[in-house]
Amino acid sequence: MSMNNQNKQDTQKRILLATLISFVFFIAYDFLYLQPQQQAQIEYAKAHPKQEANKNVNTTNSVSVNNTTANNTIPNIKEINKETIISTIVTTNSIYEIDSLGRIAQVTLREKKYVDEDGKPLKLFNATQLRPLEVRFADAALNKKAFDTAVSVSASKLNIQNNSQVLTITQNLGDTVLTKKIEFFADGHYKLNVSTSNNQNYFITPGYRPDIAADMYADHGALLTKSDGTLIIIEDEDMDKAVELVGIQAVSAFDRYYTTVLYNFKKNMQVSVMKNDTASPESFIHVSNSAELYGYAGPKEYNLLKSFDPELTKIIEYGWFTFLAKPMFVMLQYIHNIVGNWGWTIVITTILLKLALSPLSHKGMVSMNRLKELSPKIKQIQEKYKDDKQKASMHMMELYKKEGANPMGGCLPILLQIPIFFAIYRVLLNSIELKGAEWIWFVQDLTHKVSINNLWDPYIIIPILMGATMWLQQKITPNQMQDETQRKMFMMLPFIFTIFFIFFEAGLVIYWTVNNLFTIAQQYYINKMFERQKEERAKAHEAKKSHKGK
Amino acid sequence: MKIINKLFYYLIRFYQKYLTILSFGSCRYHPTCSSYALTEFEHNNFFVALFKSIYRIIRCNPLSDGGFDYPTTKQKFTKCEFKRIRVKYWYIPKDKNNYLILKNWEKNNQDKSTNVNE
Repeated sequence: MSMNNQNKQDTQKRILLATLISFVFFIAYDFLYLQPQQQAQIEYAKAHPKQEANKNVNTTNSVSVNNTTANNTIPNIKEINKETIISTIVTTNSIYEIDSLGRIAQVTLREKKYVDEDGKPLKLFNATQLRPLEVRFADAALNKKAFDTAVSVSASKLNIQNNSQVLTITQNLGDTVLTKKIEFFADGHYKLNVSTSNNQNYFITPGYRPDIAADMYADHGALLTKSDGTLIIIEDEDMDKAVELVGIQAVSAFDRYYTTVLYNFKKNMQVSVMKNDTASPESFIHVSNSAELYGYAGPKEYNLLKSFDPELTKIIEYGWFTFLAKPMFVMLQYIHNIVGNWGWTIVITTILLKLALSPLSHKGMVSMNRLKELSPKIKQIQEKYKDDKQKASMHMMELYKKEGANPMGGCLPILLQIPIFFAIYRVLLNSIELKGAEWIWFVQDLTHKVSINNLWDPYIIIPILMGATMWLQQKITPNQMQDETQRKMFMMLPFIFTIFFIFFEAGLVIYWTVNNLFTIAQQYYINKMFERQKEERAKAHEAKKSHKGK
Repeated sequence: MKIINKLFYYLIRFYQKYLTILSFGSCRYHPTCSSYALTEFEHNNFFVALFKSIYRIIRCNPLSDGGFDYPTTKQKFTKCEFKRIRVKYWYIPKDKNNYLILKNWEKNNQDKSTNVNE
C-alpha cells in the first residue's frame, strides 16, 4: 500500500515536472534565443550597412552600388537614402520607391491596419538586402557597368488611384540599352516588360524576402511554384548550395504575412536560387533578351492575390499542414464573406465544427450520465482491485458490457481535435487577413499575443476566460476518476492551460473558449434531460404507489 | 524490435507517462488503444502494427460498442525449452498460427515455472 502511494507521488511529481519543464522551455526559448537573435540581427545590420547583395549569378564579382544604403548612424535598417530614390509610385494600397539602379528600393503599405508598434506605416524591405527587380548581366563587364550607371525614368512621381499607369526605366550602357517597362495597377501589382536592345542574357530577381514577420512560428524564405503544380520551399538559413530550377511559374520571397513575387503562369521559367551570406535563398529568373512578367510586393491577402491571378493563391502556404489548413481557410473565408467579421467567423466556425462532431460526443455524454447511476458498483470494483489497474479496467469493461453502456468518449474524438486545432492554429498564424481584424470590445487584433514583458494587457482576459470555461466544463462533466492523484492533476489542467494560452494568438484562444462553451452547453442539456427523466420515473413510481395504496 | 518499432514504442510510452492526463479515461476498449498499439509494435511488422493501431483508434468512438479487443500476432512456436521463465505475455490461440496477446498481470512471477509454448 505504501509502495503504491509512493508510486502515485512519483507520477504526480513527474507530470508536474514535465509541465514545468515545457513551460520553462518556452519562456527560455523566447528570452534566450529569439530575442537575442532579433537583437543580433539589428546589431549585424548596423555593423554591416554595406551588405548589399553583390554576388553575381555568374560568380564574377560585380561592384555593388552601396551609397544607396543606410549610413551607420541610422539604426533603422529600413530607412532608404532619399537621394537615391528617383521615382515614387503611389497606388491605392502601397507606395513603391524606385532607386537609381532601377530597382524597387522600398514598398510602404498604406492601409491603416499595416502599422508598426509606433503606429508608422509598415515598410516591407530591409534596405541592406537584395532589392526586387535588380538585373544582373551574364556578361561580367556589362554587369559591372550596369551597377555603376544610373537609370533614367519616365516619371518621378505616379499617382494611380484607378486603372494603371506605365513607368519606363531606361539604363543606357553603351551598346546595350536595358528597358524596364512597368505598368503599375491601382491594386498594387505590376506588369513588367524587360528587354535589352542587343539580345543580352541576364537575370532578374523578385528580391530578398520582406522583413517584417520573419520568426520561428512560421516558414520564411523562398517559394517557387512549378508548372506541374508542385511547390518548392527553400527556408532561410537552410541552404547548402545554389540550385537550378526549371518549369517555374512563380517566384516568391516571403515571410509569415508578406511577399515579393514575380510570376507568369503562362510561361515556364528557369530560376537560379543562390545562397546569400546567411545561407538564405535569393532567386534569379533567367532572361534572354526579353521577358514579360507580373509582380507584386505586399501582404499575402487571399482575395487580393486571387484577383491578380487565381493561381497566385498557391504562394500562401501553411507549412506541412497545408492539406488541412487550406480547406480550413477556405471555410473561414466563406463564412467571413457572409458575416464580415473575423472574430465572429471564428466563433461560427467553431460552433459548426462542434456541431459536425456532436453526434460523436452526444452518445458518449449520454452513456456517461447513465453510468453515474452505476457509480456504487464501479466504486466497489475499484476498491477491490485498487492495486491492479489492469484488472480493475477489465472488470469495469465487463460491467459496461452487462449494462450496455460505455461511458468513455473514445480515443478518436480526442485525436480528431488535434488536427483541427493545428489546422486552425496554422491558418490563424499565416493569414494576414486576421492581422488588425477586430472582434468586439477591446479585441482589436485577432493575432495579438500577450507578451511576457507586459502581462497588464487587456487581452489577458481571453485566456483567463478560457481557463474559467475549461474549469466549468470539468465541473459539469461527470467523471469516474477515482485515482486521487489523477483527479488532482485533472483539476489543475485549467490553470496549466490558462498559462499556456496566455502567449497564444487571441483568435486561437477564442476558438478554444467557444469550444469549451459549446461542450458546457451540450453537457448541460444532457444533464437536464437526465434529471427530467429521473423525475418522470420518480413520479410514475409515486403514482403507482398511491394507486396501490387506494 | 526493429528501430522504427522501437521509436513508436517509446513515443507511446512517453504519451502514456506524460500526456494521458489530457485524454484521461477516454478509451472504450480493453486494453486501451495505447497499450494495444504498444503490444502491436512489440510483436508485429511496423506497417501491420501501424495499420492495426490506426484502425483501432478509428473504431474507438462512441458509435462503436467498445469492449474487449486484444492485439494479435502470427507466430510459430517451434522450440520448446524447459526452464524457468518470466511470463510477459500469454498467447491464446485464435486460429491457425494467430494468437491473441494478453499481458500477464501476475507480479513476482519470476519464480514460477511456466511454459508459454504450445
